[in-house]
Amino acid sequence: MLLFDIVFNGNDTMYAEACEAVDAAIAKYGEEKAIGFPDTAYTLAAYYAETGDKITNLKEAKAGLEHIKTMMTRERRLDSGFKSGVATALSAEILEATKYIEGDPYEGYSEGAMTDAQIRELGVPLVTGDIPGIAVIIHAAPTVQEAVDLVKSYQSQGNFVCLVGDIIDQLKEANYKMGFNVRVYPIGKDIACAAHAVSVAARTAMIFGNITPGDKKSLQEYTFNRFRAFVNAFGPLDEKTVACGAGAIYYGFPVITNDMEYTPSVPKSLIKLADVSKWNTASLEARDIKIKITNIDIPVSFATAFEGEIIRRGDMQVEFDGSRIDSVELVQTKEPSEIEDHKIEVIGPELDEFEVGSKNGIAYVVEVAGKKMQSDFESVFERKFHSWLNCIEGVMHTGQRDMIRIRVSKEAFEAGFRAKHFGEVLYAKIKNEFDAVVDKCQVKVYTDQAMASKIRHEIAVPTFDKRDERLGSLTDESVDVYYTCILCQAFSPSHVCVVTPERLGLCGAVSWLDAKATNELEPAGACQIITKEGVIDERLGAYESVNEAVRKYSQGALERVTLYSIMEDPMTSCGCFECICGIEPFSNGVCIANREYAGMTPLGMTFPELASMTGGGVQTPGFMGHGKHFIASKKFMAAEGGIERIVWMPKELKETVAERLNATAKELYGIDNFTDMIGDETIAEDPETLFAFLSEKGHPALGLDPMM
Amino acid sequence: MSEFKLTTVEEMEAATNRLLETGAKVGADSWQMRVKNQTPHCKFGEEGMCCRICTMGPCRITKKAPRGICGCDVHGIVGRNFLRFTAGGSATHSDHGREICHTLHEASADGNYKVKDEAKLMKLAAEFGVETEGRDIYDVAHEVAEVGLLEYGKPFGTQVFLKRAPEHTQEIWKREEIEPRAIDREVSCSLHMTHMGCSSKPEALIRQALRSGLSDGWGGSMMGTEFSDVLFGTPHEIETEANLGVMVAENVNIVVHGHDPSLSEMICEYADSPEMIAYAKEMGAKGITVSGVCCTSNEVAMRRGIPMAGNFLQQENVVLTGACEAIVVDVQCIFPALGPLSKCFHTKFVTTSPIAQMPDSDFIRFNAHTAGENAKAIVKMAIENFKNRDPELVHIPDMKQKAYVGFSVEEIERKLDGVTNSQVDETGTMMPLVDCVKSGVLRGAVAMVGCNNPKVRPDAAHISLMKKLIANDIILVVSGCSAQAAAKAGLMDKRAKDLCGAGLKRVCELADIPPVLHMGSCVDISRMMVLAARIAKDSGWNISQIPLVGCAPEWMSEKAVSIGNYVVATGIDTYLGVEPYATGSSEVDGLLKGGLKDWVEACYTVEHDIEKLGDLMIEKIEEKREALGI
Repeated sequence: MLLFDIVFNGNDTMYAEACEAVDAAIAKYGEEKAIGFPDTAYTLAAYYAETGDKITNLKEAKAGLEHIKTMMTRERRLDSGFKSGVATALSAEILEATKYIEGDPYEGYSEGAMTDAQIRELGVPLVTGDIPGIAVIIHAAPTVQEAVDLVKSYQSQGNFVCLVGDIIDQLKEANYKMGFNVRVYPIGKDIACAAHAVSVAARTAMIFGNITPGDKKSLQEYTFNRFRAFVNAFGPLDEKTVACGAGAIYYGFPVITNDMEYTPSVPKSLIKLADVSKWNTASLEARDIKIKITNIDIPVSFATAFEGEIIRRGDMQVEFDGSRIDSVELVQTKEPSEIEDHKIEVIGPELDEFEVGSKNGIAYVVEVAGKKMQSDFESVFERKFHSWLNCIEGVMHTGQRDMIRIRVSKEAFEAGFRAKHFGEVLYAKIKNEFDAVVDKCQVKVYTDQAMASKIRHEIAVPTFDKRDERLGSLTDESVDVYYTCILCQAFSPSHVCVVTPERLGLCGAVSWLDAKATNELEPAGACQIITKEGVIDERLGAYESVNEAVRKYSQGALERVTLYSIMEDPMTSCGCFECICGIEPFSNGVCIANREYAGMTPLGMTFPELASMTGGGVQTPGFMGHGKHFIASKKFMAAEGGIERIVWMPKELKETVAERLNATAKELYGIDNFTDMIGDETIAEDPETLFAFLSEKGHPALGLDPMM
Repeated sequence: MSEFKLTTVEEMEAATNRLLETGAKVGADSWQMRVKNQTPHCKFGEEGMCCRICTMGPCRITKKAPRGICGCDVHGIVGRNFLRFTAGGSATHSDHGREICHTLHEASADGNYKVKDEAKLMKLAAEFGVETEGRDIYDVAHEVAEVGLLEYGKPFGTQVFLKRAPEHTQEIWKREEIEPRAIDREVSCSLHMTHMGCSSKPEALIRQALRSGLSDGWGGSMMGTEFSDVLFGTPHEIETEANLGVMVAENVNIVVHGHDPSLSEMICEYADSPEMIAYAKEMGAKGITVSGVCCTSNEVAMRRGIPMAGNFLQQENVVLTGACEAIVVDVQCIFPALGPLSKCFHTKFVTTSPIAQMPDSDFIRFNAHTAGENAKAIVKMAIENFKNRDPELVHIPDMKQKAYVGFSVEEIERKLDGVTNSQVDETGTMMPLVDCVKSGVLRGAVAMVGCNNPKVRPDAAHISLMKKLIANDIILVVSGCSAQAAAKAGLMDKRAKDLCGAGLKRVCELADIPPVLHMGSCVDISRMMVLAARIAKDSGWNISQIPLVGCAPEWMSEKAVSIGNYVVATGIDTYLGVEPYATGSSEVDGLLKGGLKDWVEACYTVEHDIEKLGDLMIEKIEEKREALGI
């Protein structure tokens, strides 16, 4: 059969199934019955992105199917093939939505639809290339081992893997760890589940790319040029799968299959390759994905995909716990003569000598030297340790400085992982990422308890104190330059962050020092110097030089931003912000929600809904994305009165920022325990209850001028 | 980047009309006026039934006088005229090829001409059976040139390049007795056959027309192409611009025109030298701009990115800008009108070849030994002429488009390699293209070539056909004045992908190409033959089975008929927008438009309705797909 005919037939079948499901649902629940997916502000996102119309109930689903029918043209041209491919994906999305009417249909088996919050979480790593690509693997591999090997190959490169069909059972059979946090995401069994992968692409385009829903052409250009996904489809193929494949190819995602008979080949788009062991290389090449190779000499995998891995007590070989036993991590600048490059020393016993499951102390000091090294960079490097050590398969790291906790799994230990390998990883990553300023590097790993204590108290703590003093003196007023950050522009082409000492990037990942270091490391890179000049309004934090930079780096999309206002030209966001704040008119205040928070806010919107108000480089007065750390800043919406406007945030977030926020409130307004005055979900999820609470507590926001 | 928009034929015509106003001011003649004077054309001539081969006539065939004085009927007369027309074209192309052989023979390490593409020379040496082991490349080059020159007059055997064709095609040529022998012999034989009292049988005459055409396409032209590549480099993708707006008012403008790159290459070389640029500044100009017209333009655009001022029917326009210091010509397609026209302006009309000598021109005889000096003298002459401009008359239409050119077979192969997958595919093949066609992503290809002809609204047929074809996922390979029409319109800008169907658009994006591929000058149609042969070999299809057709919607010259004959004889159905002078004979006409199919698996289709011509090509392509089951 001709390729186009296969696509047309597959499209017809999927469409018929969707129609049948919608009709059956209408018969059962009536037209007005709501449909959709959990925790998304984009309803049926693929359909919404393509058409600009939201499907929220069965009646609209029915109308949607009518519209899809018009896309199903049947000319012998690729245009018809593509349209039918998209029509297949949209039909599948509607079909999937009907399955969600009575709750999560995948509960206990697989993950199903992805939430907006998860997509936003993927934002930063996708932008930075930490997630180089997104693999969508469909159907069962020839053998369980081949399934495991293929998934593992992508995962160990940091790729995000989505699974559709029987491969999920194969991985279950092999006891393979799956889940969003390890970047192996089983969607569901039916081929219609592929729609959830399309939904991720569509939402990425709307969230980060500011693609207007319904702007088909821009959507396709965005996914084609920026969303680095590809499909691996195991044979035997069938019409529906090929029809979905046509949709994938339309969006720019090549399909690799081992079914050598069913379809012809299409260069760089539909690639037939019988040897599954070559799929990884073939797929990455087909999607033009380059893997940054960090060759680290350790006996376990090293990849960003393992960053979210959790090691439970029972799986743990050994633990280092800074909260109980003196531990610390530190970067120190030294003279070149004091350093022997790539010297890794373990001072004290190796892991073999620790009792299984025991709690211990550890100190590791990374000593660096370089002509362009500055002591300000020490903390920048240090903040990376968390992510680097977490990338080791079988190692979990939390905290920072002298409050670290590290677990090494039994599996990693059995594979040969030892304390010296911490040194190897730190050495390799420092040299890899900071080679512009670090010429020489050596690592000392102290497992000797007495030595670790000594390092903590005699060397590290005084260093931290000195640094804090320096950081405390770093204010927006005390420096002459700010920095742009356009790290996100690969994904969010018109967004520019302005990073100041008191306002870190909204993703939470780029502080002023980070930006400074990035600028030193890559003078033509994402962080460019803005010399603080041409004050327009100090209260708002409006500067001519800032506006000029924003204009230039947004390619004219943005004219002006202020540093301290959320009402007047607020700073834009790419979409990967940690938190979003929005005005709460009853109390003259603002509510803040963080990405992890899944519940309702007194604004009547969830985090995904709030988040969808902004992002993609768009200015929405009254809404602003920001980093967690910014909440305690004296500059947080300083133009509108500052932190005393904060009336609500989720409990967990409140606890995280309490210490610093209370200190700032004390300093600015003389208020003690300010966070006690701030509402959370246990107190109120609606404005009336919140208002009553705030009145009772005498929250200062109530006495302020209205914001609008 | 400004928004991309094609330049329309209407806009081009408006620009021409503005230039003609300048012409009227200075009393210049124009082809537009001469067309009026020459129409209606002689019907006997147009239908090919006027015989002036001996002095018993001229004889012309009417109902009342169905035979000439010698008794030759209309079929014999039309057939003979058709063969002579072909022989003229074949001789012209092939003689161009021969000139290049001579230039290669003159090449030396420290001379005016050097070997630029050594790898190609070595490949040719192997094909020609020239020993290369341990030899100086110039020794090899000279011997290859000699063997090449022998192709023109070798007493025995057939053309060496025929071996490049697929077996099946070679078998057809053998079976039909149209394998070309020595190139000159086919021309002589054609003239002999058409002499008074020789052949009058249409089949024999047309068979020889195919053979003479093949001696051009798989002989003289192919050598012209290949040896030019050896001397001046095999073209690779390069960015340039097209249309009159490439001329720069503040600069000395030198326009090269004709076909043979030997002269224009040297002019470009010298115009780019610091010495000449300094001299131009001394003379009051800001710099020097070399641009081109016709196929010389295609040659230097493909290899150096020299901008294209225009195609055949725009040659007078360059002078009408009032800003052309010198129009320097070599051979073929040069209007004798340029002589008198240049006298209306300060423009120097410089002829350089003994082959093309014209009144009212400065003749600077150009040859390989003195090429450098000649070129320098011409550039200097142009610079010194800058001061003679009449600023009142200067008007350069602000009209140009970006174009990516230089798609030799080698470059196409490189682009195709770019979409292969190292885990799956071999490189160095045409398979990615074949796969695109097999899967239906591309429906097929059209090789569009040829001239402008006032009988067709100039450029309109080229451009409208191309737009129609690319919208139908049909990729174009083009050459000659057709290529320039595409470039002027903007169809060689990569942004033209947005005018394509979804399939071709995707191919353009993935392979990083414009939808219309510039393969070179008119001799470079030989590149298209090599391309077709490579596709046939890689796909396992016969050339005639490939969803590929040829098209010359605005053709006018003898060369075009020679080309048409070798394209058809290679198995590629060919679509024309202008009738050959053959409609007077139902037999000849019938052969060309149908009978040839039995011989070579392809024939001509002529359709004046350009819209319909496009539909017919698409139908044919779909018909070929169906036959292949794809």
